[in-house]
Amino acid sequence: MTEVRETHHSGLIGSQPVPDETVIRAKIINPEEGFSTGWLIAPATIWLFLILVVPLAAIIVFSFFKSTPHGMVFELTTHSYAEFFITEGFFDSESNSFLKLSVFIKTLGATIYFTLLTMILCLIVGYPIAYFLAMQVQQFKWQLALFLLCMVPFWTSYLIRAVAWLPMLGRRGLINQALLSMGIVDKPVSFLFYSEFGYMMALVQIYVVLGIGPIFFSLAKIDKAFLEAAVDMGATPFQIFREIIGPMSLPGVAIGMIFIFVMIMGEFATAVVVYGGKTSTTGTVILNYYGIANYPFAAVNALMLMVAMIVGIVIILRVVDIRKEL
Amino acid sequence: MAKNKKTSSKVSRRQFVGGAAGAVAASSVVGFPAIVSAADPIRAIGLGVSIINEIQSRAAKDIGFGIRGQALGYGALFGKTLNQNDQYEVSECYFDMFDAMVPSKVFQPIDTKRIRDWDKVSNLVKTGMLTPGSQIGQGDAPVTKLWVDKDGNPTDGPSRYISAVPAAHNADSLGYNPDDTGRAIDSWGELYSPDFKGKVALINVPQVGVMDAAMGMEALGLAKFGDKGDMTRAEIDTLIEFLIVKKKEGHFRAFWETFGQSVNLMVSGEVALQSMWSPAVTAVNAEGVKCVYASPKEGMRGWHGALAISAKASGKKLDQAYEYINWWLDGWAGAFVARQGYYFSTPANTQKHLPKADWDFWYEGKPASMELNDPFGTPLIAKGAVRDGGSYEQRFKKIAVWNSIMKENDYLVKRWTEFLGA
Repeated sequence: MTEVRETHHSGLIGSQPVPDETVIRAKIINPEEGFSTGWLIAPATIWLFLILVVPLAAIIVFSFFKSTPHGMVFELTTHSYAEFFITEGFFDSESNSFLKLSVFIKTLGATIYFTLLTMILCLIVGYPIAYFLAMQVQQFKWQLALFLLCMVPFWTSYLIRAVAWLPMLGRRGLINQALLSMGIVDKPVSFLFYSEFGYMMALVQIYVVLGIGPIFFSLAKIDKAFLEAAVDMGATPFQIFREIIGPMSLPGVAIGMIFIFVMIMGEFATAVVVYGGKTSTTGTVILNYYGIANYPFAAVNALMLMVAMIVGIVIILRVVDIRKEL
Repeated sequence: MAKNKKTSSKVSRRQFVGGAAGAVAASSVVGFPAIVSAADPIRAIGLGVSIINEIQSRAAKDIGFGIRGQALGYGALFGKTLNQNDQYEVSECYFDMFDAMVPSKVFQPIDTKRIRDWDKVSNLVKTGMLTPGSQIGQGDAPVTKLWVDKDGNPTDGPSRYISAVPAAHNADSLGYNPDDTGRAIDSWGELYSPDFKGKVALINVPQVGVMDAAMGMEALGLAKFGDKGDMTRAEIDTLIEFLIVKKKEGHFRAFWETFGQSVNLMVSGEVALQSMWSPAVTAVNAEGVKCVYASPKEGMRGWHGALAISAKASGKKLDQAYEYINWWLDGWAGAFVARQGYYFSTPANTQKHLPKADWDFWYEGKPASMELNDPFGTPLIAKGAVRDGGSYEQRFKKIAVWNSIMKENDYLVKRWTEFLGA
């Protein structure tokens, strides 16, 4: 993709003309000027060390502590890990739990399932919106205005957005009233809310913007000259999408999906508010065990969630090499 | 689980983090006592229902020193009370937490001789019976957690020392909208009535929800529990498997976690019948939606607040902690929480601070003789309204079970997780 840089571009956020190499050298690498690298990275390093590395280390250490009904005891044990992975009777061929997955693995599995489903839905809903903004809207001011319009839901608090579904989808909500008054149903339908349907809908609504942003930016960067060239060569719109637009927007898709993936894996509030708590996510498990002061087990769940997230991100980055694409 | 086997090696989270954080924390803590002054406040932690600005500023005015309150969620309160007793002088906690708190000695035994109105504290916690002949109730009945010796070890009967001073309490049951149910609800068994399929909600706090669910099963004769507040694994399995079947049938509309959610479920008409707290019923009525607080014939589920002093409090701080607790018992605070729908352990003192109209409504169960306000001065009760569940005595005559933390708590939470995910 490096060729892109050398071409003229008419896109919104195209790459800048490459300046003379000597100019770059002079500007960036001048040890006499400004702060040294060490000083520049110090604030971020200290900050990350204090709020990321130290607490993470604490979580790892706590996960090996022993939990008793009256608090955590400094006695190293892998009990909490066994509890996470192994169901009672797991190795006992006589037991009906023989080789049955533990509740917590299943819960993590359900968390991943809902996350993937939401990611797919966000892509299906978000990509066309981003495409429309970047490709169909010609004027910059309109692109900006419509993009900001997508962000409107973020102007209110997360909780208000989640709660606002009730007057819309509830038993006595707007949709049910409309259906009733039109005579389509004779009593309110209940599948709209406190249901998997409602849960998915709310998750997509809340998180789709995180996908639209990056996809929009990567689409907007595509040099329109490529598209014109393709048209001149007789490519069909589908071919243009498959050969040019699709591949060139992949980095945006990957970044958007990573945002959504990370946010939803740790979700628990929407499940409570919109799904009526009718599901368990690893987030709610952590909360429940925190609530009974069983910190070691909450820590194990937090770590397993983190491992799942890292694996997920690695997979996404395997599919799309963001560094190469950017 | 070995009970308190290795007390010496017990490391609280605070100590651990403190150690890791090193000298910075230590030096700042050491530096503080130098600036202790007469107005130096004490620290109290509790839930949002008792850590309220109005209460604390009144206390400060009456007793001459400040109260620095921190309102926490239930889980955070439990954890902080248990693991960070150097972070508070007074914990406004609950007797159902005491199976964890008493053996780990995070509190210091309270000398009843230093509690001014100890003789005015009702018998609900002292003997387990508010009035003679009442039912003590299963689970962590506060009377079983109250008495300790001067070292803080539980004793069989009355003693000079107590684990904590009894405070606000209430009895919870079911709330329902009579228009939706079409009939009066007088049993926990109605939770599973097919008539209300898809219109039932349970509280999503495993330790509490499981008891409501068990009361329902028992009322229908589907199961018998030895002690609903301390179930065996087999009993938990029976209950959860039944609940999973019901959930898969689509019987439950939702599981609520906060007061506000339960109010919302009722006001929006999403549920007809659900586990509910008494003040939430009042809040639904205040929204103009019909909601009745059931008095199930099997009895209600009680809970009882407590005022405990940290084992780390000493000297002047300890005196202040006693002073603050004595102030709570004095009546003003009892009157304040009465208007939220809670009862307080010194009813005679509460009565002194409550106008007759309020007393008659909240404690006597009589129709309101005039419009009554909540503690913040907002009209809450219309003239002529009657508090559901009858008088204070009637309610507490028949507590079926007290909020509890079971010995099999970890197993319960695990199975509850499975139930919600089913």
